[in-house]
Amino acid sequence: MTHGQQSPSDSTGRIVVSGLTKQYKQLRAVDNLSFTVQPGRVTGFLGPNGSGKTTTLRMLLNLVTPTTGSATFNGVRYADLHDPVRHVGAVLEASSAHKGRTGLNHLRMICVATGLPRSRADEVLAMVGLTPAADRKFKGYSLGMKQRLGIAAAMLGDPQVLILDEPANGLDPEGIRWMRDFLKSLAAEGRTVLVSSHLLSEMQLLADDVVIIAAGKLIQQGPVGEVLHSATARVRVRTPQADALAKALTEAQATVERPEPDLLVVTGADAPAIGRAALAAQAELHELVTDKPDLERVFLELTAGKAGIR
Amino acid sequence: MKLVRAELFKIRTTSTWWILALVTVPLWALTLFFNWLQTETLLDAELVGELSAMEGNEALAVAAQLENVAANLYTNGQFFGLLMVMVLGILVITSEFFHQTVTTTFLTTPHRTAVSLAKLGAAAILGVFFWLATTLLNFAVTLPILSSYGVDSQLDSGAIWQAIGLNGLAYLLWAIFGVGIGILVRSQLGATVTAIVVYLGGYIGAGTAIILLATRYGDWINNLQVLIPPLASQLMVTGTDLPGNPARWVGAVVLIGYAVVTGAVGTALLRKRDIS
Repeated sequence: MTHGQQSPSDSTGRIVVSGLTKQYKQLRAVDNLSFTVQPGRVTGFLGPNGSGKTTTLRMLLNLVTPTTGSATFNGVRYADLHDPVRHVGAVLEASSAHKGRTGLNHLRMICVATGLPRSRADEVLAMVGLTPAADRKFKGYSLGMKQRLGIAAAMLGDPQVLILDEPANGLDPEGIRWMRDFLKSLAAEGRTVLVSSHLLSEMQLLADDVVIIAAGKLIQQGPVGEVLHSATARVRVRTPQADALAKALTEAQATVERPEPDLLVVTGADAPAIGRAALAAQAELHELVTDKPDLERVFLELTAGKAGIR
Repeated sequence: MKLVRAELFKIRTTSTWWILALVTVPLWALTLFFNWLQTETLLDAELVGELSAMEGNEALAVAAQLENVAANLYTNGQFFGLLMVMVLGILVITSEFFHQTVTTTFLTTPHRTAVSLAKLGAAAILGVFFWLATTLLNFAVTLPILSSYGVDSQLDSGAIWQAIGLNGLAYLLWAIFGVGIGILVRSQLGATVTAIVVYLGGYIGAGTAIILLATRYGDWINNLQVLIPPLASQLMVTGTDLPGNPARWVGAVVLIGYAVVTGAVGTALLRKRDIS
């Protein structure tokens, strides 16, 4: 690039957040947060309500000024990107268009401000399947249509990085499916996709990596598989001789809960160990299942006691 | 420049501008009615002579000069026109916060000073557009009115063209003024109501207060009238300078001062504001 402003020093589309802090009068909304987001993958940005997800995303995009710390795209702050819409697309809230303006004009407005050809507006509308509603005013859009318009706006500049804040909000199952496929296809093209959400089951289907925060602090970051692996494994055992087996397992240093008379939930021992213990205790097994940890359980474990109203 | 075009595009693609334009027309007609009555009075030489002799009011005699009567008509509609232009300036900025489009705007252009300047520029262009429209209307009615009193168009007088030009400057400045107020008072409704109250109240209330103070402390206080923005803009369109009033350029300087201050303070605030 030959423009006066800083151009990306590398073009991989990596997001680096480093020591980001936002101190409001009463509240430290984001507290010394550092993480990186890799290109070619969908990264889920997870946290309980009020944990600072939106504030963090807004600091990334220069809408909120950080108290300290920085966030960069390819090593360049958002405010220093030349024509940022060509590098980074963002979908922040579904209702950020003028109610009396048509969807197409909303997109054209951005084209005019950035020097993109107006035909781009028609292209991205078609991309998100909104062409039939192009000339309808924004106030007549359903929540799902508003989300699609937001995505269309973010895609105008064909950016390498896409940031979405709770994009699944208000979408019906088909819309959620569409969004998932769309974001995965963008990541498959080598783009960086950062998605905040509190819908954990959806994230488990969508994300390759996760960044989990609570109370403004980083709790864990890494590929979904690794994060799931870090959870304590649980094994459900159903046996008529529950007393005997529970005793044997407790003696073997495992933790045993007994939600039903013939059901044990065991942590600290894996299925083979429990099987051997049952054999030794002459307990008859009707069920021996290792609970696959899901993102929701891991998340609740990791953020336990750190969520809630601050 | 593309940012100014984007701002004008934003205004064009909503219904705000033509609603305000529609409101402006009847208000313009209302002021035309009063100015017509005033013309009738001022062109009655006998009556003016009596009145100005009786009150020792030189300004009245000067105001009755043909070119000043004509200037009044050519700049008709200013009082409400400026109000509309100011409201339009307010809406240029407050509607962004009201509809949360400011997020999109600042994502598209993170350089907030540039956004602010573009808004000021677009508002100024709109102000001039409103001035142009009302001036064309004024020409359409002034020529027949003057000829009905046997007065010619007066368009060979430089004072007329100065008044028309300064009127355009007033429209431009009030639009800028509106943008500044819109940034200072964030709420759309709050900013609009505040501005209208200050405009009308300032015109009547402050004007009255100054006249009362002047009777007590002396005539020099009358010169302070020019510090009140609506009075300053009226001063700018009087045609020739009126005795006992500050010169017209003083009105222009005062308005430019207000526009620069509100525009600059507004821009500085907008640069710092967190958008959440």
